[in-house]
Amino acid sequence: MTLPPVAQHALEAFVVLNAVILMVTYVTLLERKFAARMQSRIGPYYVGRPHGWLQPIADALKLMIKEDIVPAAADRGVYNLAPVVFLVPCMLIFATIPFAPALGVADLGIGVLFFLAVSSLEIVGLFMGGWGSNNKYALLSAMRAVNQIISYDLPFVFAALVPVVLAGSLQMSVIVAAQQGLWFAFYPVIGQLAFLAYLVATLAAENRVPFDILEAESELVAGFRVEYSGMKFALIQLGEYAHMLGTSFLGALLFLGGWLGPGPAWLGPLWFLGKALLVFLVVTWVRWSFVRIRVDQILAISWKLLLPATLVLLLATGLVVATRGAGGV
Amino acid sequence: MAITLRNLFRRPVTVRYPDVQRAYPDRFRGILALTYDPETGEENCIGCRLCEYICPPQVIKVEMLKAEKRNYAKTFTLELYSCEFCELCVQVCPTDAIIMLKSFDLATADRRDLLLDKDRLHALGLQFEPSWATGNRLRDMQAPPKPARAEAKVEAKGETKEPAE
Amino acid sequence: MPDTQVRQTVEVGYGGNERLMMNMGPQHPSSHGVFRMILTLEGETVVGVDAVIGYLHRCHEKLGETLTYVQYPSIASKTDYVAAMTSELAYVSAVEKVAKIDVPRRAQYLRVVAAELQRIASHCLWLGTWCLDMGGALGGGATVFLYCIREREMVLDRLEELTGARLLYGFHQVGGTRYDIPAGWDVKVRETVDFIERRIDEYEAMLGDNAFFLARTQGVGVISRELAQAVGVSGPLIRGSGVNYDVRRAEPYSSYGDFDFVVPVETAGDCYARYRVRMVEFRQSIRIVRQALEGLPEGPISSRPGVKSVGQVRVPKGEGYARVEGARGEVGCYLVSDGGPKPYRMKWRGASFSNLAVLPHIVPGHKVADVVAIMGSVDPVFGEVDR
Repeated sequence: MTLPPVAQHALEAFVVLNAVILMVTYVTLLERKFAARMQSRIGPYYVGRPHGWLQPIADALKLMIKEDIVPAAADRGVYNLAPVVFLVPCMLIFATIPFAPALGVADLGIGVLFFLAVSSLEIVGLFMGGWGSNNKYALLSAMRAVNQIISYDLPFVFAALVPVVLAGSLQMSVIVAAQQGLWFAFYPVIGQLAFLAYLVATLAAENRVPFDILEAESELVAGFRVEYSGMKFALIQLGEYAHMLGTSFLGALLFLGGWLGPGPAWLGPLWFLGKALLVFLVVTWVRWSFVRIRVDQILAISWKLLLPATLVLLLATGLVVATRGAGGV
Repeated sequence: MAITLRNLFRRPVTVRYPDVQRAYPDRFRGILALTYDPETGEENCIGCRLCEYICPPQVIKVEMLKAEKRNYAKTFTLELYSCEFCELCVQVCPTDAIIMLKSFDLATADRRDLLLDKDRLHALGLQFEPSWATGNRLRDMQAPPKPARAEAKVEAKGETKEPAE
Repeated sequence: MPDTQVRQTVEVGYGGNERLMMNMGPQHPSSHGVFRMILTLEGETVVGVDAVIGYLHRCHEKLGETLTYVQYPSIASKTDYVAAMTSELAYVSAVEKVAKIDVPRRAQYLRVVAAELQRIASHCLWLGTWCLDMGGALGGGATVFLYCIREREMVLDRLEELTGARLLYGFHQVGGTRYDIPAGWDVKVRETVDFIERRIDEYEAMLGDNAFFLARTQGVGVISRELAQAVGVSGPLIRGSGVNYDVRRAEPYSSYGDFDFVVPVETAGDCYARYRVRMVEFRQSIRIVRQALEGLPEGPISSRPGVKSVGQVRVPKGEGYARVEGARGEVGCYLVSDGGPKPYRMKWRGASFSNLAVLPHIVPGHKVADVVAIMGSVDPVFGEVDR
């Protein structure tokens, strides 16, 4: 069919957006069942028996029909805009992820850079939420969040840059193609360490236990989201899980070879999905196994351990590539 | 982390209530009920009000009705919403009239449903399975053996122990 | 503590000098009950604590005056409702002491089994809720919590087979116990404690080497030996600070002298030391349960006839104090009797009440996140605090 390019791109974007939202809602169910099994219990099973398939739909419907309570003393404009500002970058990152060599909304030449830059815009939304709520707890948590996410975005970026240097390009499809022989996660020493650093930085950038001092459920209940209810809360949850899934996808692309896998080419996107879910499950497994650590300990780990380590790693990668000769593997 | 992974593959311990009920032990202290004498079909309660006096939160109210051969309870109200389920009323009952059942399934949205009157208590007694404990059994279990009654006591304990197995 | 520090005006607001007064209010996921703490913060560091209690006051001591000796034991379990057996034991021991009533040996052994099983269950809850507070309701804390609850449910099942109730038992009565063990119970209890012993190994493996856990608990909330003795804490708090004091050894009651067990003492005084003390107590409780079941003598379970009327127990004039080693510390009951079926005055010494008094001394200087860790390791139960 011959649609004008604008309409075609709009259609692609629409499809991808909906697919992402659906995936994100079902990933919450996956997390809950996985966590439940690790805790000797079943997880959602009642709604949509026997496995709770309709639970995410039920949750979404419930949040949509809830009353939207705005605190009287809240800063209206900032408060109302915060979920949107939080959600949009988290959705935008999916625009640059190719699911197969030619399947994706936009396979930018600067794909990885765009992803990393846009994904750190969510901090603005986060802080807006904490500030606009006019609530001491929310403010405290938002301040901690800004601290933590900024501190961990640097090691995150450096760890993500290691495959970029190894592949010699910022374009995601080129990075995946460069992993034909050996996935970067298994690349001797620097690849493996970079993957590990990437996972740790993901945990922290996503505010997942053991780094979830931001929400710290048992201290500052729900952190910056504490004053949000109904659909705004749903948007924030959506944004969080979308970001989580987005970084899992990026991890699968950069380190686990994206759509590469045995079998015919059309199996590629399924391999990709599987690898991203694997990264997600590993992160979830860590999340449900550890207690959290204090904010000063979190920052100490970032600045004193992770940042120097990833810097050194990046330099080492540069050396390796330079001595091997310019270009790919 | 290895521990959580190991637990991932263990069977969950959840009991899918209300689809699946768990087995209640014999001595379960559930909701209260009044009983009938199995041989004569008469009510066991003689309206002596011992349970009313011993109840710590004072949820039982009894009125006695005097008759020729034996007394009855004219009215017997039990406020189940305040009941502590301590089983003291069961313990003191001389005729094993009030017992506890192996069920607690009486949740309701209206508190007045839990203000049990005599008919309701008798109906509950027929509806659910009774627990092991009755007044005489509990008192026999607790009483120190008198030398003259040592053998009778052992027999009674032997009998009453069997249902508990 | 000087008066000026304690009598602070309870205002919530900015205290000037960039100090923030934050209320960790009665409804809070990690206040272990209803407890209000007004923290004065400078940034993230706590500089002052003002504790407000009394939200769970239910007039136990007045109830003790209006209810008879026969009725009150089942109410006594509601003070420390997490470790109900030891609470009842304190009351009943006080009555038996004042009235000079002997308790048959079988009843004493049964009381020991019940108390130690209860200690295991209470420590399971302690570990679970502590990790829940530290790790988050969605996160590793919840995992440890659910494992501990899974084990606690097994112990509660055993106690349910014994008494019929899962949390508030009414197991004790003046002169002995109300229930004897059903057939086959001791076999089941042995299986349960064996199973729990293996699971405790798992918990220690999961937490003991965990760098995050150690970072959260070591060096946090240090109670020095002098402070512990001055404030009057008891139980795992004082044993974690180097003082070897356990009521079961200091003043053996209910034939605890027959059993062979180790009283754990750690000197560090921080949250980790208290954790180690309680983990060892787990194992020692299991040891005591095994010994008690093995040596369970035959005989009556009460030296008084079964309860038949409400005024059955009359205690001659006198007064006395009995204490037991509860899961949280020394639980005591002071009884004054005037010869009737009810006490003239009854006073509870709640272990958590005295333990909480240490908070204003140890919390300042720590971060907000440490407050929850400290609260969890102090392990208060507000039924005991507010009575």
